[in-house]
Parts: sequence; C-alpha cells; structure tokens
Amino acid sequence: MTPIVNIEKLRVTFGKGTDAAVKDVSFAINPGETVCVVGESGSGKSVTSLSLMRLVEFGGGTIVDGRMTLQRDDGPIDLAQADGDTMRDIRGDEIGMIFQEPMTSLNPVFTIERQLTDGLRVHRGMTGQAARERALELLRDVRIPEPERRLKQYPHELSGGMRQRVVIAIAMACEPRLLIADEPTTALDVTIQAEILALINRLKRETGMAVMFITHDMAVVAQIADRVVVMYRGDVVEEGPVADIFANPKADYTKALLAAVPRLGEMRGKAAPEPMRLVGDTSAPKPLTPQDHPEPLLEVKNLTTYFPVKGGPLRRHVANVHAVEDVTFTLNKGETLSLVGESGCGKSSCGRSILRLVEPTSGSVIVDRKDILAANHRDLRLLRRQMQMIFQDPFASLNPYMRLSAQVAEPLRNFGLASGSALQDRVAGLFDRVELPRDYMRRFPHELSGGQRQRIAIARALAVSPKLIIADEAVSALDVSVQAQVLNLMMELQADLGLSFLFISHDMAVVERISHHVAVMYLGRIVEIGPRAAIFENPQHSYTKSLMQAVPIADPAKRKLEGDLNFRPIPSPMHPLSYAPAQSLYDTVAAGHLVLRDIERTTDANP
Amino acid sequence: MAYLLNRLLSVLLTLFLISVITFAVTNILPGDVAMMIMGTQSNPEALAGLRESLGLNDPLIVQYGRWIGGLLTGDWGRSLVFKEAIGPLIAQKAVASGVIVVMSMAIALACAIPLGVWAAINRDRWQDSTASTSALIGVSLPDFFWGIMLILLFARYLGWFPSSGFVHPADDFLGAIRHAFLPSLALGLGLMAHLTRMTRSTMIGILGQEFIRVARAKGLAEREVVWSYGLRNAIGPVITVAGLQVGYLFGSIIVVESLFNYTGMGWLTYQALLNRDIPLIQSTVFVIAAVVMLTNLFVDLLYMLIDPRIRMA
Repeated sequence: MTPIVNIEKLRVTFGKGTDAAVKDVSFAINPGETVCVVGESGSGKSVTSLSLMRLVEFGGGTIVDGRMTLQRDDGPIDLAQADGDTMRDIRGDEIGMIFQEPMTSLNPVFTIERQLTDGLRVHRGMTGQAARERALELLRDVRIPEPERRLKQYPHELSGGMRQRVVIAIAMACEPRLLIADEPTTALDVTIQAEILALINRLKRETGMAVMFITHDMAVVAQIADRVVVMYRGDVVEEGPVADIFANPKADYTKALLAAVPRLGEMRGKAAPEPMRLVGDTSAPKPLTPQDHPEPLLEVKNLTTYFPVKGGPLRRHVANVHAVEDVTFTLNKGETLSLVGESGCGKSSCGRSILRLVEPTSGSVIVDRKDILAANHRDLRLLRRQMQMIFQDPFASLNPYMRLSAQVAEPLRNFGLASGSALQDRVAGLFDRVELPRDYMRRFPHELSGGQRQRIAIARALAVSPKLIIADEAVSALDVSVQAQVLNLMMELQADLGLSFLFISHDMAVVERISHHVAVMYLGRIVEIGPRAAIFENPQHSYTKSLMQAVPIADPAKRKLEGDLNFRPIPSPMHPLSYAPAQSLYDTVAAGHLVLRDIERTTDANP
Repeated sequence: MAYLLNRLLSVLLTLFLISVITFAVTNILPGDVAMMIMGTQSNPEALAGLRESLGLNDPLIVQYGRWIGGLLTGDWGRSLVFKEAIGPLIAQKAVASGVIVVMSMAIALACAIPLGVWAAINRDRWQDSTASTSALIGVSLPDFFWGIMLILLFARYLGWFPSSGFVHPADDFLGAIRHAFLPSLALGLGLMAHLTRMTRSTMIGILGQEFIRVARAKGLAEREVVWSYGLRNAIGPVITVAGLQVGYLFGSIIVVESLFNYTGMGWLTYQALLNRDIPLIQSTVFVIAAVVMLTNLFVDLLYMLIDPRIRMA
C-alpha cells in the first residue's frame, strides 16, 4: 500500500544558532489509518504536523532538510518543496487540521456559517444555498443539535465541546484524505473528550480518511491509535502498532512514559495510596501506611458560596451563581481528600472558600478546632499559616522579578518566623526538601522548567510548616513524567511530615492513585463521597458512573464507542435571587460512603 | 438593548455634569458679564442696575437653570464680542470645524490602518521599523510644525492648495475641501502616528491567535487571512482610540485653525477666551464636550456592529 504521506528525514529549525526542533523524523501514514504522534512538550510533535501543512513558516520555523511526499490524484508531490499556491490548494482540501483550543480556534466576529463555508468557496467554488446545505450536512455529521440555528450563531454562543465539533466540521468540509488533529481534546472536560474521540473515530470509519493524531496522553493514544510514533526531543524513538507499543515497549523513553501514566483501576484492592514507578527505579513502590485512628483536621459543614451576577442599567444584583452548594466533608490528619469534577462544578471555588480567598455565603470551616469563617482579620492571618495553597500554573503563581530564594523566604518573613542566617538555612533546607539543587536559590522563575517551578511553589507552601495544603489542579499543567515526580514528592512529604492534602483535580486516574478519600462534585454539590476504594470500585451516583465511564484508559483493548457515551450537558448554576436550593441529603451506602439523594431536578445527572 | 440604554444614560449624566462644571468654572473666574459689557471704569450704579437686569444677583442655581433652559430651547444668549446670537454663530463655526475634524480623521485612518497592518505582517523587519520610525516622528513633532511645513510645500512652492481661509461647503463644496485640506492634513499626521501604532500592536496580537492558523489551514489566501479574518478583529480597538482622539483634536484645532486663519470652533473658542466672552465660553465648551461624548457613543455603537459579543452583552 502506498502511504498517503511519507515523511523522510525531516529537519526543522527556528532561527539561527538554535537546536533543531525536529531533528531527523521519518514515518508514514497509510490510507484509512490513525497514527498517533505522542510525546511530551518540546518533543517536536506539533512542529512536525505544522510542517506537513507548511504552517510552521508562519511561526518562524524553517524546513531545512527532508522530504514529505503526499499522494495526490495526479501523482506524488514533495510538500517540502511545494510553492505557496499549491500549498493553499492542499490545505483544507486534501489535508484538514484541527487544533487544541476550541475557545480560540473560531473567529469571534464571523458566523458559524461563514467559517464553515470558507473552505467550500475556496476549494469547490460553492456559495449561497449549495454551500449552506453542505454546511448543514457537516453540522449533522458532527452531531450538533439544532444545526439550522447554529449557522446564524457566533462562536461565543456555543459551548467548548460544540465549538470543537464545529472546528472538526470545518476540517472535514472538503473531505480531506488526511486529518491532522493537534491535541484536539486536551482543553476539554473528560466527558466531552470521550465524545470527540469517538466522533473522530466514526468519521474516519465513514470516510476512509487517514488521521494523524498528536497528543501527550497515552490513555488517549490507547483509545484512538492504529499505529503509534513516539517522539522525544525532536526524534522518533519508537514506532509500531498500538497493541505492541503498550504490550512490549522497546525504547526506554516509551517505557518511562507508560510507567508514568496512572491507569484508572490499577489501584484495585490496595489499602493506601502508592507512589508512581519512575524510570530506572526497579524497586516496587512502597505503599504509604494507612493510619489506624485518623484524627480530623479540616471539617467543612454546609459550606455555601454564591457569586452575585449584576445586570440592568444600574448594575443591580439580579441573580446568583451557586458555585458551592451545601458542601460537607471531613479531611483527616495525614490524609488526602480529592475533590473531582468537571469544569464549573465548584471544586476550585470550594478550595478558595475554605481559605477565604473568596468569601463563603454560609456554613462553617473548622481547622484544628478553630472556625475560619468566624475569624476576624488578624486571626485569619494566623490561621492561614496552617493552610497553604498550590495553584495550577506555576509560572503565573511565581513573581518573575524575584529570586527563588526570596520567594520561598517570603512566607517566613511575612509571619516573622526567621531572619538572617537562620532564614537562609531554612530556605536552603526547603530546597533540599523538594529536591532542587541549592544553587537554584539565586535563579529566577524563567530559568526553571515547569516541574521545577511547581517544586518551588511546594517549597513556598511548606515554608510555614502548614498542616493542610490545598492543591488546585497542581499537576495538571505538567508533562506526565514530571507529574509523576511531583506527585511522588507530595506523597513523600505527606508520609514524612504528616501533611493533609485537599487535592482538587479533574483527573480521575491521578485521584485514584493518591487519595484516601474522594468527593465527586457536580453543580456545586458533592454527589458522592467516600473512601477511595468505595468510590472507584462501587460507584453509586449516576454522575460518578458517567464520569468514570468517560475516562480514557491506557489500554488499547478497552475502547469506547460513540454509542456507549450518552452524557447530558451540565445545566447552568445561575439562579434568580428568589431561588431556594434544597438541602443536600445523603444515603449511606457503607461506612463513610455517602450518595446524594435525588432531591431536585437540577442536581440530577442521569435519572 | 440594555447595553445601549446603559450607554445613553451615562452620556446624559456626563453631559449634565459637564454643564454644571462649565457653569461653575465660568462663575468662579474673576469679573462678570456686566463688567465685561460696561468696562472696568464704568459707573457702579449703572453696573449694579445691569447686574440686576441680567439676573446676575439671582442665586447660582437659578442662573444655572436659566442657562440650561436656554440651551435646551435654542436661546443660547448673545456673544459679547461678536454682538450676535450665539446659536447661529456656533452653528456656522461648527460646520467649518466639522469639515476638518472629519477630514483629518479620514486621512489618519486611511493611512494608519494600511501602514499598521503592513508593519504587523512584516514584524521586526525593515518595513516595521520604517513604519514605527515615521509614526514616532509624527507623534514627536507638534501640529503647528506640520502646519508650517505644509503651507511652505503645498501652498507656497507647489501652489496646489490655499494656505488660509474658510469656504462654506454649501456655497462651494470643492472649494471647502481645498481650503480644509491643509489644516486637516496637519492634524491628521499627528493622529495617524497613534493610530498606526495601535493598529500594529492589535494586529500582531490578532495574527498570533489560533483562529488565524485555522483560517490558513482552510487554504484561504493570505490576503483574506490578514484583511478579513485579522483586520475585522483588530479594527475595534483602533476606532475606540480614534474616538478618544476626537477630544484631543479639539485641543489641536485651536492652534491649527489660528495658523491657517480658518474660522472654526477652535478659532471661536480662542476669541471667546481672549475676550472673556463668558456666555460664548460656556456655550463653546459645552458644545465641544457634547460632540466628544456623542462621537464616543457613536464609536461604541459601531463596535456593537463589528463585534457580536458586545451585541449580546
């Protein structure tokens, strides 16, 4: 079989004197095949795909060597040598492309119809009614409800998942023989990700096009790939059928990548969280010893947080966003409780409400027998010493103009806990603690990698010896291998210092790996809470079940089909001022395992 | 609709505040209308009589009410210097200034947008530095310098345009344009510089967006990607700045109109200030403020047409 595209010895550089972003990449894509190009940030996977479209030049890249042979109807052509007009003919017609960010992939000032029919006009000369009909057909193909209405709408009127469907429809408009998908589900919630993956699979089957799918996520690879190309620092390190890659990885890097991926279900039957196995570490992971008589550290009761919505000419308070609705849970000393849910479920607002970074509307938060919500300004400051927070984006949460040592020392200075050489010693000790070399103390944040920056954020949180750390998506922005290291560090600190973590995450597999207890949030409420094993092995609430079902599993034998997935869109958490929410009432399934009773229509995920 | 209502309310409120401030400031200034009319050497009794008949002894709030009532009913009072009714006087001068304000803005936008886009698509190359340097020169040199240079070049040496005077467009449209051209160009050069830089930086931001990449991936020609996908998104901030610059323009026309002996609002305001013509000062300041407010309201409405996200809000 002649491949649709054959890439040979591709080399791409950005600017003079820099290392090549893609060094020597060769692989082929056959008709009707899905090839996953997988790798971590900086592996050159996106640059390879942009080179194929010759879009890399617009970002300052240069293809310095190699061939990219595309089979066209009138014979093969080398894309690396093709002129601008030829490339414009190919783009959008023979090769379609979809990108990572559905929120920014569509032009905000043009209607969906205009954006869907652009390609048809340019490549097929279709305009007016004919183009509109084809656009409607495309919207039906990608299963967008009410397609006629969508044509007249603008991107901001559509949800993220729907926008990504529109982007896919745009790429499919001229029935390309190759679809390039560059991390198309990374920015989406897990249920929407599952739907988009199933959609791409179905379109591929129906049209016979080939798919080049770029991702960093091995679980997604297992869901969609026929063949896998593993890239590392600009080179292909391994290539093969998906089953072989997962069963018998040859390259060390592939092995490391696979080891670092937490897999949903692999913690079955284990009593306590377990560190991840890292590259070169052959010893079996040591489980953390569970505590016999856990003592409560954080008790949250009926916590409720509303955000006011202003409207009308006088900016009056017209409605409330019910971000956190009657949430109750307890976190024990030395344990990890995870809050999981999709975007907008209130998990982050809950974490912030506990620290009073946002003011809760009602409820109580007791830390070590002191009520945070009742504390005055001075007491709150002292109470915050016991509670620290780590955020998702370590670059945004560090001050770019301050040396790292000063940033780690800041909380110590703030509370007057140390000064002079004692302070320097404490800071050096903290750098040791998070396993960063001491000569990093004089550096600035931009000189560090993402994982190192997150270690600094952890060191800063540890500086005042807190009892509780709230980690809000603390590892979500990190590459999997780095994520594994940071998670292991957090577990080690927990074992050594007796820390409690409130771990806020959307990633079910990570949560399963590290938690003692899990709370699933939906529309501001906890719909199910209990010991980790109970939630993952015996989920009761329909929302917990659908969330579990949506998680891609890093095993090619466990694929999901579009028909298996039937998620309902999440209703709005915004309510008029007169709205009186019902209390959260729970049924006890087993000791400590509670499930929200179906108290009202709006909190019901799947009746 | 709520947005529109909001904006209209805020415009009305601002106009009210402006009227209060203008009225208050002109009353705080030393000397009053009666003194202006009769001269400083006049008979104190006659002065007192005039004050009484002009209503200057009434409480300020009553005087303000009378003034604002006049403004609303079309009785704007009489100018002390020109001995004419203020309403028709301002109407005539406003046409003169309107011509150069519109023309200078049109010249500025017509040059700045292509130049800014050109600089943005050739970012960090010679085209960009050429555009940026000329923009910087435009900002750095004052309007009267450009005015003098333009008079020397186009009026004195080339003789293409008249160097001074005003012709009413109703009498001779082409003549009006010819007379307004040099003052408009002098003003436009200063405006253009700001707008070029604004267009460039907004356009660079827009061209880095993912939807531009998507447009290219569809196979659209670069021309369409830049001028349709890109500019449609970049134009909003540019016209917003242009709207704000109308306020700045009314400051500049005082100098430029004097230089070209072009009798418009700038010239009128200057005469009013020079002669302490209090009723005229109040009216001109209020009219200029109102024009600036309404221009910005117009820009906001235009923004609504351009950007569907604001239409919904």
